[in-house]
Amino acid sequence: MATRVPPEEDPGGSETAPSLELGETFEELTGAPSIEALAQLAREVICDPSYPTVRAWTRRGRGAVGCFPVYTPQELVHAMGLLPVSLHGGGESIEISHADAALGSFLCSISKSTLELGLTGRLAPFRAFVFPYICDVSRNLEGIFSRAVPGAATHMLHLPQNFRSAGTVPFLVAEYRRLIAKLESAGGERYRPERLADSIELFNRQRTEIARLAAVKNAEPGKLTLTESYLIRRLGGLVPREVHLRILERVHAELAVRPNRPKDAIRVLLVGPFCEQPTLDLIELVEQVGCYAVDDELLQIYRWYDRVDPNGDPLENLASAYARSTIDIGVRATPTTKGEAILRRVEASGAQGVIFLTAKFCEPALEDVVLYRRALDRQKIPYLHLEFEERSAAYEQSRLQLETFVESILFD
Amino acid sequence: MGDTGTEPRFLTTARDRQREMVEEYYAGLEGAGGPKKPVAYMLVGGNLTEIVRSFGYEVVFPEIVALNCAIKHVSLPNILHAESQGYGLDVCGYVKNDLGLQEMGGQTPFGRIPPPDLLVCSFSGCYVYVKWWEALAEKYGCPLFMLDVPYLRDATPQSEDIQYIVTQLHELIALLEKATGRAFDPAELRATLARSRRAEEGWVNYLASGRRRPSPIEAYFEAVFYMFPINVLRGTEVAADFYATVNAEVDERVRSGTYPVPEEKFRLVVEGVPPYPSYRTFWDFFRKWGAVSVAATYPKVGGLFDRGFLHDPARPFDSIAEYSLGAYVNQSWPLRRTLIEEYVRDFGADAVLIHGIKSCRSFTAGQGDLRDRLIHDLGIPTLYIESDHEDPRYFAPAQIKNRMDAFFESLDRRKGTTPLPMVGG
Repeated sequence: MATRVPPEEDPGGSETAPSLELGETFEELTGAPSIEALAQLAREVICDPSYPTVRAWTRRGRGAVGCFPVYTPQELVHAMGLLPVSLHGGGESIEISHADAALGSFLCSISKSTLELGLTGRLAPFRAFVFPYICDVSRNLEGIFSRAVPGAATHMLHLPQNFRSAGTVPFLVAEYRRLIAKLESAGGERYRPERLADSIELFNRQRTEIARLAAVKNAEPGKLTLTESYLIRRLGGLVPREVHLRILERVHAELAVRPNRPKDAIRVLLVGPFCEQPTLDLIELVEQVGCYAVDDELLQIYRWYDRVDPNGDPLENLASAYARSTIDIGVRATPTTKGEAILRRVEASGAQGVIFLTAKFCEPALEDVVLYRRALDRQKIPYLHLEFEERSAAYEQSRLQLETFVESILFD
Repeated sequence: MGDTGTEPRFLTTARDRQREMVEEYYAGLEGAGGPKKPVAYMLVGGNLTEIVRSFGYEVVFPEIVALNCAIKHVSLPNILHAESQGYGLDVCGYVKNDLGLQEMGGQTPFGRIPPPDLLVCSFSGCYVYVKWWEALAEKYGCPLFMLDVPYLRDATPQSEDIQYIVTQLHELIALLEKATGRAFDPAELRATLARSRRAEEGWVNYLASGRRRPSPIEAYFEAVFYMFPINVLRGTEVAADFYATVNAEVDERVRSGTYPVPEEKFRLVVEGVPPYPSYRTFWDFFRKWGAVSVAATYPKVGGLFDRGFLHDPARPFDSIAEYSLGAYVNQSWPLRRTLIEEYVRDFGADAVLIHGIKSCRSFTAGQGDLRDRLIHDLGIPTLYIESDHEDPRYFAPAQIKNRMDAFFESLDRRKGTTPLPMVGG
């Protein structure tokens, strides 16, 4: 059973909530008696800025690597005996006291809260951090981290944007080799292709199980709330993937017998939160007002590709899978046009409308929204655009907008 | 006229020549387009102007158009039009100026901007480039070539990065051959690169003169005017010749003792993009204190030539790749920090002024960290102020002037007596 202990010394100087303590085998999570209980525990894990799963993992000297959104080849991190951990900022749990001064005014919450976590010592359990080049802020954050968190290794991963060049995959393989060198210097085990092949198989299974979860949510949206689906997925970036697979097995077993509770709700596609995550309150609000989120852009790392071939050269296969992905989100040059992309996704998901949920100051998302909206206007598909920040507290305005949006479709 | 009581001093002949070159360029654009002369849009950082021009394209740089709109005080209507189309307050002002302008037909006070036949995105240090060019591709339905330039994390570029870019350059050439029906001419490219190098060497000499005391150049406000040829016309004879004119006038300044300000009191390194809509006002805030920028990062956005990223006709593709890698905002944050520290040392600067802009996260994200490093680790007086490079709504003159006055007062006391506490911002 999970326990809670008061922190010895609060590094942030303002919060006093006790930290969650988990066992090294994570039985609290794998043994949760129901999806509701699991979701409740996952909520506590996610809202605890002291990273309870990472503390549990590193208790015996094992290493963890923080991976900033949206994509890091986490298979590679895993293959080197390190726990890849998806970083999603400080959420609602921390006050920004120091990071504002280092970063400036007009920047997204996730960059500030992630830096705040580093500046206040909360990321001490990590040995290294990877910042992929998904936007200019993430890119610069790596260099800022190298000074702000001097004890850990940092790496800026250049993710290619030209997916038609013959040079892309060879470059990305070289890029991954740089990451390997950095992880080896940070205490990772020596890189061995056969270990990577095993890790690729493990992550293939995790993606398959998460895709099944998404399929349930799309086909029987009353069976699982968006919040439950989100929390279960989010855990997958915080615990060993072997543990997450056991959790997913139990979830699927329960879903097989869980009744679908359909309600008079509209089916929506949730677009925009591919990096910074909305608050749990806002995620809940989307379905509370009468929507079923039948597809979403939360936690896109699980959807980058379906399966990576573990045979042959696993490093090249991993690079190739990234480059050949057909995913179309704001931080990756579009292979078609934004208009085509959004219409295809609306059709594939069976959505009746689109909710754009974009993080304040997230320029990649904000610029895409304009092109998406034009395509939706042409097809007369309804949409709503809301902006959010990590520490948003009042949702009355958002509730009103969402309710009006739902009513406009229901009574159309 | 600002409150210094004097107009800014320019290099007379060079400034007149620069004006002519700008006018000739925009007049040339008005005649471009259609079957006679195809138009390629390109970005300044890491651009491939030599290759694209060798296939007969006229090249448009929407960033340059945007800054010209801003400095002529016509950016706001374009921005407001883009906002009416759905581009939010937090989107880059350059993007909004361009997309707003395009939607309204492309007419500017300095000429009509023709629509593109080809979009070449040099993704070198700014992710917004990708989004901007996607929007243009969607509007015009023309081909988009994405040159993916790896982020420069080591002072010396890695061979795999160069190889990746060179592969893409050959792919661009294949696309250009197909689009124009012209065969690539390696000899012509080498000749063009030789002219580029001549311009780059002249530009580097100009920038190096900021090391003199007093400085015969204003390396931020004045240098911006002389960036046009190195960024827009690189590879042409006129650009190569231009810097000989500039440097001859700089030498004359030294001989005659005519400097950018009557008495150089403070030597500054300036980091960040200028607030173009309030350019003269901002410059006045420096000049009234006898402050001269002796080195600046912004004039290096088109290429960090003063750090050796010069085109080399003997190694055409490798040197183009190295040039693209070395663009200022494509340099890692630690490399940028080091560069500024070296400028302070090499140019004998008294202080650093950082101008953060709302529009540009590439330039601005982390400038607070830079300020902290300069003040607390190195003891260099540093001021950080914020506005925007394109949108006049974000320039608060009274507030900025107050902060700059306080900063210079503090610097004045510090220079005159024992050191006083540092003024940060």
